Amino acid sequence: MKGRSLIHLLSISWQIQNIAVAAVVILMICLLTFMLAYMLSQSLQEKKKQKWRMISDMLINKAIFFEERDEIEDQILASVLEAAKKLTGNKQFRKFITGELISAKKNISGTSSDSLKQFYLQLGLEQYALKNLESRQWYVKAQAIQELTIMDTDEFIDQLQAFTDDKNEYVRMEAQAAMVQFKGFEGLDFLDVITYPLSNWQQIKLLQLLSARPPSNIGIDKWFNSENPTVVIFALKLARNYHRFELHDAIASCLDHEDPDVRLEAIRCLNEIYTDETSDHLIGHFLREGLRNQVAMAKVMQTVGTKRDELFLFDLLTYDSDELKLHAARALVNASEDGWTSLERLSNRSEDAIARILMHIKAEKAA
Amino acid sequence: MKILVAEDDQLMMKMLEFRLRKDGHDVIITHDGREAVAKLDEFQPDLVITDIMMPYLSGLEVVSAVKKKYPAGTPVIILSGMGQENVVLEAFQLGADDYMTKPFSPNELSVRVRRFDVSAVK
Repeated sequence: MKGRSLIHLLSISWQIQNIAVAAVVILMICLLTFMLAYMLSQSLQEKKKQKWRMISDMLINKAIFFEERDEIEDQILASVLEAAKKLTGNKQFRKFITGELISAKKNISGTSSDSLKQFYLQLGLEQYALKNLESRQWYVKAQAIQELTIMDTDEFIDQLQAFTDDKNEYVRMEAQAAMVQFKGFEGLDFLDVITYPLSNWQQIKLLQLLSARPPSNIGIDKWFNSENPTVVIFALKLARNYHRFELHDAIASCLDHEDPDVRLEAIRCLNEIYTDETSDHLIGHFLREGLRNQVAMAKVMQTVGTKRDELFLFDLLTYDSDELKLHAARALVNASEDGWTSLERLSNRSEDAIARILMHIKAEKAA
Repeated sequence: MKILVAEDDQLMMKMLEFRLRKDGHDVIITHDGREAVAKLDEFQPDLVITDIMMPYLSGLEVVSAVKKKYPAGTPVIILSGMGQENVVLEAFQLGADDYMTKPFSPNELSVRVRRFDVSAVK
């Protein structure tokens, strides 16, 4: 009995061993098959990418030498475009070729750049971008706007204009930048309608885009009456940057605006665009302002203050804020030739702060 | 003309190479400032075209290195996306011979390169 059960046990153990070996072999075969399939797919991918890279290189090459083509070159270009167009149904290829054309377009200008736009249109890539404008995802929309802008497709301005007041900040930022990119100052007409705020960053970006354009005398003052305070602020920045002296009175009227940020921008603007009456405007509004705007006004008085403002400036020296006092003292020194003497006289008979400010201004002058 | 190009952007490299080779120049491409400076001795270029923003050594440092090595010759053209006045001035102060901002016109580059081609002038 014992012998039989031993044989039985040995047989079971042998069977288990066989199963284990078979399992390991099957596992190894699976692993090998997987590795081979992976390597094959990688190699196919690489070949595919090489083909795509070749198409992209040829298109960019043709764009660079667009003017130097002959009949044979034209035929080659037509066949490359045809091959590329067939591939545009593939999302990955589309992404690749669009990326390449965009990068090239960002780096080159002139006729080569125009050719890149033509290739983009000939491949029908703009249709995909236009379709992406309808996407529910904001980043897809923003990317599509950016793509159409970089590729200079000004034929779609109307479609892009609709996004300048989009509820998503990034979408409207791209659309607004696109308008300025395509139409320069004329493109700013979206300011007539936008209801969402223009962020500080966006204002800087728009001003930077405009700086590449020749100055234009477009009507800025209509935006001083905008219900969107950020539009008023941006218009004030435009007036300041482009030295629109004829707008002085309209700028001064912004000192009555209900938004303190608008008033602050108007004060800063008056530092650049001023007349003999500017100080009267500032003095007339001074008491209505909080400390931040009062300090800004005192600073502007250094530029616009005159002898007849001395009384007001001396009064500022009695305020608690040292910053206000410093600006007022500087303004007094600038306002008239005897401003310095008057200040010295005052410092002899008043608090230490004035004496310290006077020393500070002396050091500034010496430097 | 032997032209050494220092540019870290793949696409820009290709575009420069296409244009310059087509114009009949002997072109060597380097991928950063350090490689560009290292290849100066070996390649002995007649002209250097460099970007500014590059790894390891900037284009401005490449200008300094070229001018130190060849005080009398080897012009340098800067081809950069940075067009700010202070950067342009610094480049010229360091000895750069020309400055082009991106986006650039390949045709314009050809003309500017030709200005430095002594053999073509002769």
